[in-house]
Amino acid sequence: MKRFGLLLLNEFKLARTALPVHLVAIFQPMLMYLLMTEVLVFATFDMYVMQPTTGEGRALVAAMREVGSPIGLPYINPILVAQEDMAQLETTAPRQIITVESRDGVPTAVQRFGLIDSNQVKNLRNRLTAAALRLWNEALGDAAVTVEEHPWLPIDVPYTVYFGLAMLPMATFVGAVFIGGILTAQDFEFRTIEEFRLAPIAPIWILAARLVRLVLSAFLSAGAMLLALGWQTGYWPDSLWRVGLILLPVAIVGGSLGMIIGLAYRRSIPSLLTGLIAAIGGWILGGAFGLVAGFGVLYQEISRLTPHAYAIELLFPRYYGTQVGNPLSAILALALFGVSLPALVFLAYRWRVLRQE
Amino acid sequence: MASAIELHNVTRRFGDMVAVSNLSFQVQSGEIFGLLGPNGAGKTTTVNLITGLLRRHGGEVSVLGFDPQVEPRQVRQRIGLVPQETNLYADLSAVDNLWHHAALYCADLSAVQERIQQLLQLMRLWERRRDRVGTYSGGMKRRLALARALLHDPEIILFDEPTLGVDVQGRHALWEHIKAQQAQGKTFIVSTNDMMEADALCDRLVIVDHGQAMALDSPEHLKSDLRRDIVTLRTTPAIQAPESVFSGLGIEEVTHVPPDQLRLEVSNAERIAGELVARVAAAHRLESIRIARPSLDDVFLHYTGRALRE
Repeated sequence: MKRFGLLLLNEFKLARTALPVHLVAIFQPMLMYLLMTEVLVFATFDMYVMQPTTGEGRALVAAMREVGSPIGLPYINPILVAQEDMAQLETTAPRQIITVESRDGVPTAVQRFGLIDSNQVKNLRNRLTAAALRLWNEALGDAAVTVEEHPWLPIDVPYTVYFGLAMLPMATFVGAVFIGGILTAQDFEFRTIEEFRLAPIAPIWILAARLVRLVLSAFLSAGAMLLALGWQTGYWPDSLWRVGLILLPVAIVGGSLGMIIGLAYRRSIPSLLTGLIAAIGGWILGGAFGLVAGFGVLYQEISRLTPHAYAIELLFPRYYGTQVGNPLSAILALALFGVSLPALVFLAYRWRVLRQE
Repeated sequence: MASAIELHNVTRRFGDMVAVSNLSFQVQSGEIFGLLGPNGAGKTTTVNLITGLLRRHGGEVSVLGFDPQVEPRQVRQRIGLVPQETNLYADLSAVDNLWHHAALYCADLSAVQERIQQLLQLMRLWERRRDRVGTYSGGMKRRLALARALLHDPEIILFDEPTLGVDVQGRHALWEHIKAQQAQGKTFIVSTNDMMEADALCDRLVIVDHGQAMALDSPEHLKSDLRRDIVTLRTTPAIQAPESVFSGLGIEEVTHVPPDQLRLEVSNAERIAGELVARVAAAHRLESIRIARPSLDDVFLHYTGRALRE
């Protein structure tokens, strides 16, 4: 056990041989999340509205303030702009400007859009229409048609929470796959692999020490990500140890894959690039932007090849309080990943390092 | 004296190329044994066959009674390897590099701390023990690599090109360390193509070429067995037809050494020296003449020829 402890300690000392990669692997997902949440879709949109001068205009602004999600998050934050400031705002407004004008005696809400895509136009239009609907329904009285929203989940949470939740397996994976790849490849580049080739110790101890170290690195990355998610959204998982348990097989898969990549390429740069592709691929295919159940059949089938999808299914209740998918099959799938990848590492190590040529 | 290593008719091929062919030699315990040969002669392949990194295609190898192909772990516990290209972690300190080795090679860690200190002091690296190895000179790195190979107290040390790229002071220091370890009972196999090193270090050596043993003996015996003196002449103008000038003098081999030297191999140079000078002086001005006993260089060239190896 003392010898294993020394192997593990040595593994951590090797961080000095690839310090920038360690920093990227541990902190890059967290930084990426913090940056991306600045451009993600938020529940409440700022909308510039010219100071209304008519009763219909004022009623529309009031309705805009009222529309929102079932738990009360407003969909629109109307920002009133004086007429004299309109000319300048038309060239600087980030999204759109709303004015209430009269067209042949009919009050009309006019949206002038800035440089935004068609999806954003649709989104803004829908929100404004929801506000207008409130006015129509008031006018229609008993003939009004109302739209009600009944969420499936017991709590309604911002999208930034799901996005961060889905990044937890990715951060875990990155923390292991990058470092695993570079440490293994570097041993070939430094020729220190000869030390391992001739070592009289059973290879299982060498591999176990490296894998444990990679799992701990992965947890550092996941921890940073979890802190960023909580700090940014105010949402924290209901059980840290369960989150750790869910991410453990992801870390094992990431570390194992990194080692396999390093053993295959024996070069740092190709190993890092392949690790990057695996990390991004696993993240996107594993439900980066929404639960896989909400996407097409092909996507769902592909996502089953990644541990991320199963981890997200199991992480979901930790933030949302509701189970999705089949937890037992997700646990079994993660366990299978967590056992089979280290076995592949062992075979790859025997083939690439220990084999008598 | 017992054999530490025995090779009998060992053969190893890489595709169609035969790297080692029916190679046989024995290394006695406690001796420094040289593997001498030009580039591509099969030295590194031989070392790798001894360590068990390579499988042989014929013959037998025994390292302290163990077959490295069948019992690699038994062999690896008992050998230390210093490869040709120093393979240390440049971003770690000397101490960290040694602890890394200890974790891999030392079953008992209780004495490692003390042994690291001993070895670093012995190799005169103790003062720099906390510095990054990347800041070390070539000689310091080789000494550290030797310290690392000795850390787990192996009986046999395989040292590939011990002083390649090391300055004169460094190489003499390293030779002293190797000799000191030999005095403590260690067996060394030194693979080199540096004749001075082989001459200074090795008790016995095998000259290997094209994977075959060309000669095996102590450096002194190999030199005396050549039974030839080397006469080097420099004349003005250069002698164009030495075979006719020196006919009847028993010259065994003549080699032109550009630009104006002539190298003669003769069995007893003193006996013919006077006649040789007289014949040269008849038609040339003798600038210099040197008569020497053969060096290991001469032995090496005798057995391996002068063709360049790529």
